[in-house]
Amino acid sequence: MRCLRITPSFEGWQQEARQALGRGWTPDEVVWEESGEPGLPIFSPPDAGSEALPTFRVPRAFLALAGNVACHRNPQRWAHLYRALWRLTRGEPHLLNIAVDRDVHQLLTMDKSVRRDLHKMRAFVRFRTVERDGETWYVAWFEPEHHIVEKNAPFFVNRFAAMRWSILTPDRCAHWDQETLTFTEGVPRSAAPTEDSLETLWLTYYRNIFNPARIKVAAMTGEMPKKYWKNLPEAAAIPAMLNEAPQRVAEMLQKSATKVSPPPIPPTEP
Amino acid sequence: MNLETKLSILAEAAKYDASCASSGTTKRDSRSGGIGSTTGAGICHSYTPDGRCVSLLKILLTNFCVYDCLYCINRSSSDVRRARFTPDEVVNLTLDFYRRNYIEGLFLSSGIIRNPDYTMEQVAKVARTLRQDHGFRGYIHLKTIPEASAELIAEAGRWADRISINVELPTQADLQKLAPEKNLSRIRLAMGSIRERIDQAKAERQESRKAPVFAPGGQSTQMIVGATTASDRTILDQASSLYQTHRLRRVYYSAFSPIPDASRSLPLVAPPLVREHRLYQADWLLRFYGFQVEELTTETDTNLDLERDPKLSWALRHPQIFPVDINRGPRELLLRIPGLGVRNVDRILQIRRWQKVRLADLTRLRVPLKKALPFIETADHFPKVVGESRPDRQLELFNPENPRV
Repeated sequence: MRCLRITPSFEGWQQEARQALGRGWTPDEVVWEESGEPGLPIFSPPDAGSEALPTFRVPRAFLALAGNVACHRNPQRWAHLYRALWRLTRGEPHLLNIAVDRDVHQLLTMDKSVRRDLHKMRAFVRFRTVERDGETWYVAWFEPEHHIVEKNAPFFVNRFAAMRWSILTPDRCAHWDQETLTFTEGVPRSAAPTEDSLETLWLTYYRNIFNPARIKVAAMTGEMPKKYWKNLPEAAAIPAMLNEAPQRVAEMLQKSATKVSPPPIPPTEP
Repeated sequence: MNLETKLSILAEAAKYDASCASSGTTKRDSRSGGIGSTTGAGICHSYTPDGRCVSLLKILLTNFCVYDCLYCINRSSSDVRRARFTPDEVVNLTLDFYRRNYIEGLFLSSGIIRNPDYTMEQVAKVARTLRQDHGFRGYIHLKTIPEASAELIAEAGRWADRISINVELPTQADLQKLAPEKNLSRIRLAMGSIRERIDQAKAERQESRKAPVFAPGGQSTQMIVGATTASDRTILDQASSLYQTHRLRRVYYSAFSPIPDASRSLPLVAPPLVREHRLYQADWLLRFYGFQVEELTTETDTNLDLERDPKLSWALRHPQIFPVDINRGPRELLLRIPGLGVRNVDRILQIRRWQKVRLADLTRLRVPLKKALPFIETADHFPKVVGESRPDRQLELFNPENPRV
C-alpha cells in the first residue's frame, strides 16, 4: 500500500496522480489521504520535485469531469478519479464514451451531483444588504452540498462585479470588494444577516405570481427541495399559499358564476 | 397607491403568461462595467407551489387595457383592480431584485393604454433605461404588440434578449369569438417581420461584432388551451407552422385557468392540467424527436390521449415497428422508443460502438424499463413475439401496465 497525501483540490490530486502514474502504481495499491484545507498550499512531500512530473494525454472531457468530481464531498473521489485515469492512459482512451462502465458511471454520477449543486447555488443564494464603513455590502448565507464555493465564485464576480459582496458558507466564504476575490474559512450561520428591507416586496411578488388554480407541489419540490427552504425567504410563505389556494379559487369561480356576462359560445369546432 | 400594492396587482395580472425562460441569449458579464450577466443557460431562482419557475420579474407595466379579450383578466370589461407602474419604478424594482439574486432579469408586458404605439413606447423606455442608463446586462423579455409601429418593435428588439407576441388562440375563428381586437394574420405578419430582423441582425453580427443585436434569444409565443373547443391537432398544427415559418424558439401552452371576474363566455371548469402537459410532450416530439405533426393524433381522434404520453400512444398504434434492436437500430428509430430520451439515445449510440448494450446498462442509464421493455431488444432481452393475427392480444402485451410483460 502506498499512501498519497494531497491537499483536497483538483490540482493537489493532479500532481500526485501524475507522479503515481509515472511510477506505474496501480489503482489498487494506492490510498489517497486528504490533508490541509482545500486551496491552501502545503509542503511538498520530501521526494517531490526530485524528478520531473511526467505528463499524460487524456481526453479534454476528462479534465472538465475531474474538475467537478474534485469538488464532491465523497472522500473516495480521488481513488475513483485515479482508477479512471489509469484506465484512460492504459489502453482505454475511449473509456468516457461508455457511460455505463462502472467506473465511468460512478464519476458521471458525482459530476452530475456537483453540477446540480453549482446550479442551485447560483439560483438560491439570496443577498441581504449590510452597511459596513459607510459602504453597502451584499451578504448571503448558503449551505452547499459539495466543496463548490471556489469554483462558483467567478460566476458571482461576473454578474455582480460592481457590488461588494460576501457569500458565507459552513466550509468556505468568498468575498468580492469590486476588485479582488478572496476566500476565508467557513463560518456559522449566525455570522450572516437575517433580514433585508427588500424581502417584503420579493414575498409580495412571489405570492402574486403564484396561480392558486393549479397546484403542483411535487413539481416545485423536485426543483426546489425542502433542504433549501430554510435559507430562502420566500419559502416561509408556501404553507399559507397552499392553505388559502382552494378558498381563492372558489371565490374566483363564485364571482364569475354570478356575474352577468355575454352569452356562452356555441360549442362548435371551427 | 404604494409600490407594494402596485406590485401585487401587476404581478397577479402577469401570471397567465407561462414563459419565464431566461435562456438562449448571448453571453455577457459586467467585468467591464454595468451590472449583470447571462451565460446562455437560464436559471430558475425559485419555484412557486404551482410548479412554475421564477426566473424573471414578470410584471405588467399597467393592467389598464382598451382591449376586451374575454379570456384575459385585464380586459376592459373586467372590474379587476387597476394599477400602473412608472417606467422608473419598474427599472428600480428590477435592479433591486437583481442585486439580491432573486431574478435573472425582467419580463415586461402591458395592457394597451391609449394606443399600441404609446404603450410600446413605454415598454421600450423601461428596457432602454435599464440598458443605457444602468448598464444592465441581465435578461430582458419584452412582450410586443403586433399593431405597434415597425420602429418601436425595432427598438424593443434592440434592448431585449427575447421578444414575444402571443397568438393566444389557434385559429382566427377562436380569436374572433374571444379576442375581437386581435387578428391572426396581423400577428403572423408581425412575427414574420421580427424573424427577418433577427436573421438580418445575426448575419450582420457575423460580419462585424459591433453590429447591433436584435433579440438574440429569439421570439416565442403562447396559446391558451381549453378556452375554446379547438382540438389538440389544431393547436399543434398552428404550433408546428409557427416553428417552421417564423422559427420561434418556443411555443408555450397555457391551460386556461379560471380567472377572477371571468367572462361568462368562458368555461367555468379548467381543462385538466395533464392536457397542457401532453401538449408540451408533443411539442418536444416535434422539435427534438423527428415527429411530424400528423403523426401525433389521428383523423378520428384529434386530441392527445390524456392517459398515455404521445410517444407511447404512437408506438401502440404502430406495433409493426417494434421491437427495435437497441444495438442495431438507427438513431431515428431509437428516438421512437417509449421511455428513451434524446440524451440516452445519444449515450447508447456511443456505448454500442464499444460493447453490446444489455438490460443492466439501461437500468444504469435510468431508462424506465417497465415502459420500454415491450418495445426493445437488447443483447439479453427479446420480447415475446406476438402473432400478427391477434392485434387485440398484441395491444394488451404492449400495455406497460400489464404485469405479464
